[in-house]
Formats: sequence, structure tokens, C-alpha cells
Amino acid sequence: MTITPLTIEEELKKCVKCGACMAVCPIYRQTGREEMVARGKLNLIEIIRNNEELPPAWIEAVDHCLLCCSCEENCSKGVKITEIIAAARNHQTEIIGLNPIKKGAFALLKNRILSLARVVKLGSLLQWLLWQKLPNHSGLVRRFTLPGIDSKTVIPALPLKNLDDLLKRRQPVPELQPILFFSGCATRFLHPQIGLDLIFVLEQLGFNAITPKKFNCCGMVTWGAGDKSTNRELQASNLKVLNDNAHIKEVVTGCASCGHALKEYDNLPEDCEILDISELLFRHREKLEQLVGSRQITQKITYHDPCHLSKGQEVTKEPRWLLKLIAGDNFIEMRHPERCCGAGGTFGLTHKEISREILKEKTDDCDATGAEIVTSGCPGCILQLTEGAVVSKSSWQAEHPITLLAELLRSK
Amino acid sequence: MTEPTNPLRTQIVTRLLALGFSKEQIVETKAARSCYGYDATRQNIEPLLALLPENELQVKTILKLATEKGLKIFPRGAGSGMSGGSIPSHDGIIVSLTKMKRILEIDEENMIATVEPGVITGELQEVVSRLGLFYPPDPASLAFSTIGGNVTENAGGPRAVKYGVTGNFVMGLEAYLVNGEKIKCGNKCIKSVSGYDLTSLLVGSEGTLAIITKILLKLLPAPEAVKTSLLAFKSMTGAAHAVNAMLKHQINPSTIEFLDHHSINAVRSALPFTLPDETDTVLLVEIDGPKALVESQSLKLNELFKDEALLLIAARDENEREQLWLARRKLSPAIANIAPHKINEDIAVPLGAIPEVISRLESLSQEINLPIVCFGHAGDGNIHVNVMLDKNDPDQAERGQKAINKIFSITLELGGTLSGEHGIGNTKSAYFDKEWGPVTIATMQAIKKAFDPDNRLNPGKIFPT
Repeated sequence: MTITPLTIEEELKKCVKCGACMAVCPIYRQTGREEMVARGKLNLIEIIRNNEELPPAWIEAVDHCLLCCSCEENCSKGVKITEIIAAARNHQTEIIGLNPIKKGAFALLKNRILSLARVVKLGSLLQWLLWQKLPNHSGLVRRFTLPGIDSKTVIPALPLKNLDDLLKRRQPVPELQPILFFSGCATRFLHPQIGLDLIFVLEQLGFNAITPKKFNCCGMVTWGAGDKSTNRELQASNLKVLNDNAHIKEVVTGCASCGHALKEYDNLPEDCEILDISELLFRHREKLEQLVGSRQITQKITYHDPCHLSKGQEVTKEPRWLLKLIAGDNFIEMRHPERCCGAGGTFGLTHKEISREILKEKTDDCDATGAEIVTSGCPGCILQLTEGAVVSKSSWQAEHPITLLAELLRSK
Repeated sequence: MTEPTNPLRTQIVTRLLALGFSKEQIVETKAARSCYGYDATRQNIEPLLALLPENELQVKTILKLATEKGLKIFPRGAGSGMSGGSIPSHDGIIVSLTKMKRILEIDEENMIATVEPGVITGELQEVVSRLGLFYPPDPASLAFSTIGGNVTENAGGPRAVKYGVTGNFVMGLEAYLVNGEKIKCGNKCIKSVSGYDLTSLLVGSEGTLAIITKILLKLLPAPEAVKTSLLAFKSMTGAAHAVNAMLKHQINPSTIEFLDHHSINAVRSALPFTLPDETDTVLLVEIDGPKALVESQSLKLNELFKDEALLLIAARDENEREQLWLARRKLSPAIANIAPHKINEDIAVPLGAIPEVISRLESLSQEINLPIVCFGHAGDGNIHVNVMLDKNDPDQAERGQKAINKIFSITLELGGTLSGEHGIGNTKSAYFDKEWGPVTIATMQAIKKAFDPDNRLNPGKIFPT
């Protein structure tokens, strides 16, 4: 996340327009438009980036990116495409400015994440007036027509208590080995149960999860929106927490996007190691195998690779090892597990139609497995998949693998 | 990037909208058009317009309108070509066939697939493989290139050794002439000799004769097993003799890829196995077919070369197979480390001439003082020759150009051809008359004229201008 304008020029030159990005880009798959695939976007950025006036085709192309890293992973020249897109978005915000909604939200993130917590909490009290709970799903659909929100949008049921609240009653276990837990905003405010499950599993393995309240948003969303300065501030505040706790070397997260963002930070404290929860579990596999014993999940499960875990961090084997451990032959691979679900941070909210088309292919692949649970190590994907299950009337539920593991370990 | 309105463009767009085209099918602004002016050859010429027809009637409409206005037409598939075959002119219209991507029929009884030109080759392979069928042509770009592009450039790939190139699988075509009229050629019959073979003429015609809208492709039963082996040799001559010995001993590999010593040095450190230091040439051999046959042929391969080869590894499972292929897959990015740029040609020579061509390219490399990296398809004589250089250095750029000329001379002297699988396009058209005499070229041009009398369909390609 430190690319300078000079290296952007160099990165752009590396692209030979071979077209390999066309094979994997979810947006190109749906639109079939050359401007919407990485090499087309790079072409536009290369020829127009120094121009003050950005043509609509440029803005549309730069806007239509999930930052899923698929093209980057498939690029034989190793062009840092997502960095270029982020830089282009930054360029655009400097000329046109940031979308006002994002601007407000980012200001809240940056300065008062705890006020954000209060906003979410207020929302959780009022949500029942506007939205109704979906049977069998941890989501809500709206009750009445609301301007600007697609009637089919499924939002997660906001919990009354966020992770910080829930942890107030937690008994610390100081005799265990300390480990930093970076929960991330989605786990903290929307899916606190994932955080509790993760902490529980860590304790079973002999780790005492340290959860500093001062951890801020990882910055992924601001980086993706081209808001460089907010991203820098968020990084700085998280780095401060990491440095204050520099005696703890391992930092674990259950969020694919947070893990991807943190691993890209410059100036991480020396020896500080960011780990996805699946990586940590894999390291301690012998102990975990003992803990799990002969217990096994009896439901059929499948796995969707979060882009920011599989392509962003190249972590694909560890979650599968975990799922085989807890589900054995009940774990079934779906076709194209690596394909993006279409969430892409806020992309799913701002580009509903394309996002839904991408999601439809994903839910079809999920349906085809006959699985009862679709797992994914990313709260964003879980949200999107939950919406997909509602839209496609699928019978499966989306869960984080850690939730299944925790349930198994709690069971007799 | 505001540009003055072009009355001609506005007129065509208005007409097309009235004729039922949607706005999404018309690429009008300068910025968007620039994304339809390139392919993999680093050229970029933005066209007057780019159009994305969704069916053959829309292709016809475009051609009729272009005829009325006397406009040039440039057909385009995925735009992943390596010879500039789809590069337009500023006053021409790109017709992108990517939205015509339906698989119309898979006739399992006759083992023939009928497809539209925009179908992605890899996706067709995936669909037919679910039915136990096999579409063998495997250009390196198969995950994103279109069947239409493969047919018009007659693309090949590693499996050409056993199965041949795209053209060997085209049974028939439907295509539109530049005036908007339709021709049909070929059929589902295995034996079919009624009249001129227009199917073969259109295959490899690089979009200069007609716009193909429907393609009949031969399918095969999927092979039951595949076995991959890697063999290391002390010399290119030793490797070439090995290829010859395989074929003589009735080993019938689907693929025989080779890497020369420059290529080996470039990827050596990235490989999960150790190559002996004295390795000069590596062969990657793949045998497919019925399980029993694959096993017996693999045993024979081992017997034949266990003494002669410095190293012989046979993959035992899919994972090991992938590891052996790493050597080939890592090559392209790895050789990029040798120099900032490369001039890449895809010459082909008769099998027997491979050692000679490699040794003469080695001498040429010393003469011009630039590395020349060779790898490619040892089983079919198609060699990827990469002159490595820094184009920003005028002296190197000049030596590079000189090298290309010499590479073509050497190739032709040895009975070879300018292009094994990429086509001539506009990047090799200047050398075209080195390969063919004036009468042959005039005959080809007469054919072009019969199809396209005003030279409006993909002009500037194949023939020297």
C-alpha cells in the first residue's frame, strides 16, 4: 500500500495486454466489456491519468472493480493491479472528491469508531420497525419501501450487543499464552458471535486472546475507495496498538479482508506476525486434532474461498484442512470455489445488479453441492452469501468455519 | 479528453439504435474505444466505433450499413492475438464477437459441437468434458481466447503433436461476406468433397475474407489417462534424437515441449526438483489415451531413455504432474528477468531441422550480442524464439530488428515457415514475401479480391502494404 506515482507508471508499463485477466475477472464475466477488465482499465488509466478531466468511461471502469485480486493472481507479469486501481481512485477523489456518504462514514471510522458502535447499537434497537426477520436466516428484509435501497437487499440483523459489550463479562485467562486478536469491524459490530467463537477456540488451544478496544478499522475499505489519507491514519492508529503490545508477536484475525490489509502494512513491529485463524490452527494441528478427537459434523458442508484470503494471502489449504478435520467426507468442494461472491466490500451495495449476477453463479455452485452449510472465512462473504441464499431460496446457511469448530468443541 | 463530434460516427450510431441495437452494444466514446484498439502486440489504434453484435442478424446489419457507407470492418475475438490480426484503423469499425457466445448444440451421436464464435475455448472444453468428450486444441490463451479467434488464426498448442491444430477440428462454418450476404461451407460428414473446401480457406484467413458466425467442431472421446514425464538431456541434438526415437518406437505423445539452456537457467531455481548441472535441454512429454496403453508407452519411454537422459521423472499423480509443468508455466515471467523487452516469433520448421535451427540461432545470438531464448513444441517443430533486449537502447533495438530478419531467413532456408500458430497479422506482413513468391502471393490476393473486392474487411493484414 505504499506504491508511489513513479512505480505506478512502471506497473502500468508491465502490462502486455495478453488478456489473461479476462479469464478470471467477475465483472468482465458479467459485462463482457473490455473497459471493465483489468487490461482495459489499465489502458484507460495509462492514457488518461494525467488529465484533469476524467471521462465517464474512465470513472465507470475504475469504479467497477471488486478488488478481488483475481486478475492479479492470474497475471504472469505480476502487475499490481489492485494497487493501480486504488491509486486511480485516489486520483479521482483528488479531482472530484469522495462520495459524500463514504466521506461521512470514513470520518466516523477514523475519529470515533466508538461512536460508530453507538450508531450501530441505535440501529439494532430500531431495525425491527423497518425490517423483518427472515425465517432460518440471520438476515432481515425491509418491511416498507425505502428510497435508495433495493427491496431485495438483505441486511444482517444488527446485534443488540457488539463484541466489546459481550467481552465485558469475559474472565481473563492470564495463565494462557497471550495472542492479539484483531476482530475487524464486521465481526465486532455485525457478527460478534464469530469473535466469541474464535476466542473460545483460542482458549481451548491454550491462547489468551487480547482484544484491545483501541484497534480501529483495518483500512481496507478506505484504501479501496481511494481515500489515502484516512487509510494512513487508520494504519497509524492500529500500528500504535501493535507497537504498544509489541511483546506479543502473533496477531490473529478471522476476517479475510482485515488479514489481507494488515499483512500489507508497512512498518509492522519487528517479528510481528499477522495470521489468519486457519493458519494459526494449522500450526497447532496436532493439538487441535486431539481436541476434536472423533467428533464430527454430520451436516454436509462446502467452502467458498474469500478473495482476500485465497488470492490476497494465498491461504487455501489451511481452511480445507480444518474443514476435513471437523467434517471428514461431509466436506464437499463446490465447482469454482475460488470465484468471487460479488460482495467486494461496499461494491455489493453500490452495484447491486452486477453483484447479484455474480452472486447468482456462486449460489448455483453452492446449491449444486447439496450442502447444508456454506462456510467462508470472511464476514463480508458470509453476509453476501446469506443474501444469496435468500434470493435464490437456497436451503443452506452461510457460516464462518470457526463457528462450526467452536460448536463441535462445545459439544459433548 | 473531449473530442469533436464526428458526424459519420453520430450518423451510424443513430442508425444502429433505430435498427434495434442497445447502447451497451455500441462503444462510442474515445476512452472506451481505446479499449478495443489493442491486442497482445502492444499496438493501440482506437477505431471509429466498436460494436458488439449479439446475433448473426446484427452482424449482417453492421456489414450492410458499412457497405452503404464504404467503411472498413475489423472483426475481433478476445483481442489476445500475438500478430496484430485484430488491430483496427482510426476510420474502421471493430466488430467484437464476444457477445455471440452460445454453444448451440453438442451432438453426442456425431460428436460435433456447433458454437458461436465468441465461445471461450476453455469453457467449451469444460462443457464437453462433462459429457466425456474432448476438444483437444489447446492454445496457451485457451482460458480467455475465443473459438472464433482460434479458427481465424488457426491457433495451435502443445497437443498439436498428436491431435493437430484448430483447423483440424473445424468441420464446417457459416460466415458473412463483407457485403452482408451469408455463405455456408462444410457439414457434419466425415467424408465431404463436394466443391472447393471453403472451410479450410476461411480457417487461418485472419478475418480478411468473411466474418464467421457459426462453427462446427469435431469432438473426440476424452482420453482415459494422461501421464507426464520430464527428461533432461546433455544437448539439443540428443533431445531431438529422442523425439525421433519416440515416434519410431510407436510412442505417440500428445505433447512434447522443450526448453533450451537459457530457458532452463531462467526457471531452474523456481523448480521443486533439481536438474543436473550439465542439462542443456529439457523435454516435457505427455502421453494420453486408454489407461493400459498409456502405462505401456510410459514404460517404453523409461526403457528407451533411462541411460541416455540425465534425468527422467514420471509424474505419479496430478500434483506431481503440475510440478513438472511448472518448468514450462514459469518460463514466460522468468525470461522477462533476462532483459526488459523481448521480440517474440513463433517460427516452425520440419522436425528434422530442429537441432540445426537451434544451433544457427545460437550463432546468431553471438553475432548480434543479444540473448536468444528458445522453447516450444519439439514434437511439431514450432519454436518460440525470443530475442531479449532493451528497446530503449537504439543500438539494441536495431540489432534486434536485424536478428528478426535473420531468424526468418534461417527458418525459410531450412524449409520452415514464418508462423506456426500466431498468424501473420500486421506484425509479420512485411516479411511475407520472403516466404512466398510473387505468383503465390498474387494468387492469394486474387482470392482476397473475390471475397472482398474493395479491401474493406480487415485491411492491412497478411499481405505486405
